[in-house]
Amino acid sequence: MVIVKRKELSFWERLYLPEVFQGLSITLRAMFRKNVTRQYPEQKLEVNEVTRGQPRLAVNADDTIRCVSCGLCEAACPAYAITIDGQETDRFIEREPERFEIDMLRCILCGFCEEACPKDAILMSDELELADFSREALVYDLEKLKRPVSALQPRLDYIYKLSNRWNSSSSSS
Amino acid sequence: MSSQTTNPRTTFEYKPGVPAEYEDDPIHGEVMKLNMGPQHPATHGVLQLQLALDGELMRDINPVVGFLHRGKEKTCESLGWAKFFPHTDRLDYVQPLLNNVGYALALEKLADIEVPERGQVIRVVLMEVSRIAAHLIYLGTTGIDLGAVTMFFNTFKEREKIYTILDAYTGHRMNNTYVRIGGVYSDVDETVEGMLREFLEQFEAQVDEFEGLLTGNRIWYDRNRNVGAITKEQALAWSLTGPNLRGTGVEWDLRKSQPYSGYADYDFEVPVGTIGDCYDRYLVRVEEMRQSTKIALQALDRLAKSRGAAVLAEDRRYILPPRQKVQSSMEELIHQFKIVTDLRLPKGEAYSGVESSKGELGFFVASDGTSEPLRCHIRAPGLMNVQVIPLLAEGRLFSDMVALIGSLDFVMGEVDR
Repeated sequence: MVIVKRKELSFWERLYLPEVFQGLSITLRAMFRKNVTRQYPEQKLEVNEVTRGQPRLAVNADDTIRCVSCGLCEAACPAYAITIDGQETDRFIEREPERFEIDMLRCILCGFCEEACPKDAILMSDELELADFSREALVYDLEKLKRPVSALQPRLDYIYKLSNRWNSSSSSS
Repeated sequence: MSSQTTNPRTTFEYKPGVPAEYEDDPIHGEVMKLNMGPQHPATHGVLQLQLALDGELMRDINPVVGFLHRGKEKTCESLGWAKFFPHTDRLDYVQPLLNNVGYALALEKLADIEVPERGQVIRVVLMEVSRIAAHLIYLGTTGIDLGAVTMFFNTFKEREKIYTILDAYTGHRMNNTYVRIGGVYSDVDETVEGMLREFLEQFEAQVDEFEGLLTGNRIWYDRNRNVGAITKEQALAWSLTGPNLRGTGVEWDLRKSQPYSGYADYDFEVPVGTIGDCYDRYLVRVEEMRQSTKIALQALDRLAKSRGAAVLAEDRRYILPPRQKVQSSMEELIHQFKIVTDLRLPKGEAYSGVESSKGELGFFVASDGTSEPLRCHIRAPGLMNVQVIPLLAEGRLFSDMVALIGSLDFVMGEVDR
């Protein structure tokens, strides 16, 4: 336990006028410090693979979508932002999304969809800016969400690195 | 403990009537009703204060809460256990990681999960850094309310450094959602550790500068000193916690009295005040920032020793399996589906409190064994801080209200939840 010391003002501090000049000297010193503000639209914040931006859907190099519309991201979403309708496909994985919508106005960028996805299909990109003229335009459909997997590869490597756990012991459940 | 306890609520020292020095005030006796807030910038959010003013004296104060009510407790009951984490961020939005840990501790108590050592140390670092950020907001906003505009820019400059580090570690500046049941989402790497150390080492000098600007500043001194003083008994009776209680001289800090996350192993002091006015609360918070720095530096030393250790408990009932195995093993895939869609916690009840920057932030969770919580109650320290406003402001000058609101330090997101 440490009792905080209540300061009693000295005569000069009580006079206030010398304090004003002391304050001004601090202000003057601050003028020559390094500027900490950023001119935002011109000077952007650095983004890297750690940045949790808006979720995007990874598309393989052969232009097929990774998503199998299992609905796990929909179930994991705490903001009810994702809507999926699945359909059959002739490809080996048998299913793909017919409709995949993320309401970007609801999305809170928590990353739970990415964590839940068993196919590495939905990933948090480094895209952060979100502005449009209507609410409807901000409900992103499949075409707006698709990104080549190469663009999302750094993020994919990063999340694989962090979920590399439980290697020492054998599987038990 | 004596068996006969008197109700402390009957022993308040309300002082009705006009103080002698204002008796011959010409406008004394005319009561003016004034609504302060919910858009008033000094109410720190959406608190409304319905005041009856007699001249400049506040006669009747009625705080109205609920403008930011989003039904978080009910949301938890419908969302499920794990999906509530992002919502805890938005309770007290200046310290999201502290809220995360508070909720995680309650769930871990309920499910009896042991968090690995390194996970606990990372939590401690994140909690202390969040506490510093929250206290910096207090200092900046209260400063700007009382005329010290410099404070706002100086403290926000420091807070920006914290947010840059959190951005580099968690991927978000605010609303981090980085704590999970059984640990934290990812390990800190050496870059982040270095950034944290660099920040913490220069921070003490910054606190000294803040103190130099405020502690001996006559305006700050006159507006805070002997304003809103609360006695020990009153503070305990109104269940104040945190810096507001410690300002009165009660040594009560959950980190010391009921250690969680390994706080018992850290060397730090609990600062307490003497008379419990706004000035004491300010001094306690400033000292707490120094102590937090000390704890965080000790925790960083421990992090350096335990590199590579697990940060998430190995418990397949509640924690998502590693991605690598989900791709190759059917069993792990089933676990993935089961945990995401239907995470069940055992039947029972658990309460866990953390020492947040505002006081004791408690989460009470009750489970009936299904994936939906039976009840989730959040003990928001801010609500108790709002409650004492009428007690402390009665009969004071109107301008003292701004200092009082600032020094009680509540965030309406948490009060209304």
